[in-house]
Formats: sequence, structure tokens, C-alpha cells
Amino acid sequence: MSYTRKMAWRNYLVEGFLILASLIIILPMLIMIFGSFMDSVQVMKFSLRLPTEWHFSNYVTVFREGGLARAFWNGILITGVSCTLNIFTSSAAAFILTRRETKVSNFLYMFFFMGLIAPMSTITTIRVVQWLGFYGSISSVILIYASLNTAFSVFLYSGFIRSIPKSLDEVAFLEGAGTVTVFLRIITPLILPVNATVAIMVFMSVWNDITIPLYFLTDSSDWTMPLSVYNFYGKFSRDWNLIFADLVLTSLPVFILYLFCQKYIVSGLTAGAVKG
Amino acid sequence: MKISRKLYSYYLVLPALLIYCIFFVAPAVAGLFYSFTDWRLDRVGLKFIGWDNFERIFTDKTLLLAIKNTLIFAVVTVIGKNLLGLALAIGLNMRLKTRNILRAVFYSPSILSVLVISIVFTPMLRSDGAINRIFESVGLGFLAQNWLTNPHVVIWTVAAIAIWQHAGFQMAIYLAGLQSISKDYYEAATIDGAGAWTSFRSITLPLLLPALNINLMLTLIGGLKVFSEVFVLTGGGPGNASQVVGTIILRSFGEGSWGLGTAVNTLLFAAVTVIAIPLLIFMRRKEVSEQ
Repeated sequence: MSYTRKMAWRNYLVEGFLILASLIIILPMLIMIFGSFMDSVQVMKFSLRLPTEWHFSNYVTVFREGGLARAFWNGILITGVSCTLNIFTSSAAAFILTRRETKVSNFLYMFFFMGLIAPMSTITTIRVVQWLGFYGSISSVILIYASLNTAFSVFLYSGFIRSIPKSLDEVAFLEGAGTVTVFLRIITPLILPVNATVAIMVFMSVWNDITIPLYFLTDSSDWTMPLSVYNFYGKFSRDWNLIFADLVLTSLPVFILYLFCQKYIVSGLTAGAVKG
Repeated sequence: MKISRKLYSYYLVLPALLIYCIFFVAPAVAGLFYSFTDWRLDRVGLKFIGWDNFERIFTDKTLLLAIKNTLIFAVVTVIGKNLLGLALAIGLNMRLKTRNILRAVFYSPSILSVLVISIVFTPMLRSDGAINRIFESVGLGFLAQNWLTNPHVVIWTVAAIAIWQHAGFQMAIYLAGLQSISKDYYEAATIDGAGAWTSFRSITLPLLLPALNINLMLTLIGGLKVFSEVFVLTGGGPGNASQVVGTIILRSFGEGSWGLGTAVNTLLFAAVTVIAIPLLIFMRRKEVSEQ
């Protein structure tokens, strides 16, 4: 057998094996999706089957009983504001820290970098938020998410801003522009794709999280989708068709984002993989 | 021409620094202080009690089990996510017809909430659930288990679900690393008569070190911080069989023993720092020396 023929055979073998392996991922997802359209009896078999009758009404029920519209808007508000805040503050900080190149700026960079490693101290954070007088509020959660993602964003922005030639700022400075103008007019347009990457990464992690709402949102009307789904799961543990519909609805926003913004996710991952 | 550094004013760092310090650093520092006190919900004053909280952590059976479980989870998921992720990346870096769709399929669970995955798996892991039924139908009935109710198995089950969900994320990072390696190296090696294994060991592995580095760090740190998987799948049960550090902190918070809770957190902080920082320095050095 020739070398290329052998290579072709090897590729077919690998491909066949990987397709088979992908079923391990696909089948549980299908059980969830099909199950979300079944009636409450058929779904209890938890087996892979098309629904005998498609009950689209499950989704309506879930929306009404689970208070999902409210949770959806809470999620949009929390993720949207914390993303925006994070993008502005982190890119501005990364701009200064990479440009100054002094001992202080290097120290500050490492200080931010520690946040990537260290676990957050939940109970004392609650204490701090109580002391500031807004424990239980959505705005406290927004600020906490902004702070938790600062390390990651500063790290990502620094890598990209370093690759922008300093001479660009210098020309602007010579023409009399101030720091803020240079940042907004020169740097920000150049790092727009990074903004997209950060926005998507932060959006996904915040949208999916249950830990922070669990500790910090005391009023159920402020909950985000995953936490209200968890609550729903406890209450309606017999109606698995509704639970599955609820899970599908929670996953839909991130899934749509993933479909349309894959290239920004990939560029974020590449930055990590190549620069370490 | 040199532009004065002063033009890059630190004012622009301030907003990020303030948010980061108030909501992340200050609580961490306060945590250090509070872990040496008897801080409780139902008490007004505070008393310094030295190392008492830590002594309790290392004598209490449940707390020790939680630490052991956290370590098991971390080690198992680091190995599983990285081995599977690397294998998938190598396979999907080959010229396959379906590779784009397969990449998307393997990556997709990692974009979903841990909560979603954990709830979907709960009925499948019951003793009469889909997983045991599959084992029985292929003649591997002896492998059937009470995945979530057998105290000896449960933490391994949780780790397996975490690997199922996130191996694709590691795969994506390895893939990015693999794609940055020039094909010329492999051609040169083939001409010199190197086999697949030799090429892998002397080209792929060294050039993949940055990706390996970041993946090991991410999985290890993520593993030690585990919370949501255990919280949703088992709630720490049966009994306390699957408690981890993250769920113990929640429980201490709920019980109002905040001093103890922060002490557990401080311990986690110390463990992560002690493990992660030397690893980071060591790998940085290795990376440079192999270039």
C-alpha cells in the first residue's frame, strides 16, 4: 500500500472513531431537547425517543410558572452592565500598565494577575458589601462580577495592546492630545475585536454562573435564569418535561451567542494557547 | 523622540484598581484576619482564637473528607480533561471531512451552564438510569453502579461529568496551539525518517508547552475551586460523602459559623497559591529552556 493510501485509511479510522465518540456528547443533549417537548409521562422513561406528540405548550407553561421573563431580564441587566464596566475599566488599566513599563506598573500587572489564581473569599465579600450598605442588590452583584473578571481581561488586553506600536500614541501626544483622548481615539478602535472577545467570554461566564447569585441575591425576584431554574427544579421535580424546557431556554442565549461569535471565542483561546 | 511616561496617567488604572481592590482584594485580606477569630452570626463581639479554626478543620472528619474529595476531584479532572482534550485536538487537527462540525460538537457542552449539564445527567445516573441500562445492554452489567448514592463512587462520578463537559474546552486551547506549529517541521522530520511518535515527542510536545501550561493551570485551579457541580448533582451527599471545600464554605455560611468558613477559604487560598505559583514559575523556565 502506498504512503498516501495508508494516510487516507488512517484518517477514515480516526474520523469514524471521533464520530462515534461525538455521540457521547450529542445523545444526552438530545434527551434534553426531545424531553422538553414530551408530556410528563413519556419523559419519565428518560430514553432517546422522539416525542409521540410535540407539546410546545411546555415552553409557555415554564415561562409563566417559572417567572423566566423576569429572570431573563435580570440576567441581561447583570451580564450587560458588568461586561461594559469590565471592558472600559480593564482596557484602560491595561493600556497604562503596558505603556509605562516601570517597576510600579509591573507590580500592578502582577497584582491584577494574582486574581486569575486566587479563589474569591465569599463570606468576607458579603461582609464588605453589607458594610457598604447594598447587600442583596443587583448592583452589588454587577460590581462583584466586574471585579472577578478584571484579572482575566487585563491579561487579555495587555497582550494585544503590547502589539500596537507606541509611535501611534506619540504622534497624537505631540499634536497635543491628552491621555484619555489617545485611549479613546487611538487605542479603543484598534482593540475592538478584543472587546468582542472579552464581552463574549465574560457574558458566558456571568450568564451561566450560580454561585454569586446564590450568595448575594437574597430576593428571588432578582435571580438570574440558572438560579431560578435550580429553584424550579426543586419545586417541580416530577415534571421533567418542564425542567428540560427550562434548561433549553436557559442555554439558548449562550448557544446563539456561540453560533454567531465563534471567531471571537477562538481568538481569545488562541491568545491563551500561544502566549501562555 | 521620547514621550514622558507621565502622559500615561495612572488615573486610567484607578477605576479597575478600585473595583478589584474593594470587591476582591479587601475581602481576601479580611478573610485572613477573620479566619483567626470566632466570628459567628449569633455573636456581637469578636475574639481572637489563634489557630483553633484550622485545628478544627484538621480534626473534623467531614472537613477532612471535603479536603480529600477536593484533591481527588482536582487531580482526576486535570488528568482527564487534559488527556482527552489533547487526544481530541490531535485527532481534529488531521484533515478530516467532518472536523469543523466535530470540533463544534465537542466544544459545545463547555459553553453551557454547569447547572444545565448537572441536571440533565441526574436522571441518567440513577440506578435504573440510561447509563446503567447501556452498560447492561452491551453485557457490561457488572459495571452498573449507584453513581450518585454510593459514597465510595460519588466524587468520581462528579469528576467524570466535569470531564465530559469541559474536555472540549481544553481541546480548543490545544487545537489553537497545534495550529500555530508550522507544517514544515513535520515534513523535515518525515524526510529525516522520524516516525509518528518521534515527531510527536520532539516537535508537537515542546511547541505545545504554552498551551499545556495554560491548560494545566486552568484545570488545576478550577478543580480546587469546584462548587457548582457538587452543589447541583449531590448537594454534598449522600450524607457528607461528596462534600468539597466549596460546599463546606456554603454550609458554614448557612450555619452562621463565619470564622470557620473563612478559615476554610483561607486554606483553599493558601493551597491554590502554594501549588499554582511554583508550577507557573517552573513551567515558564522549562518553556524558555526548550526554545
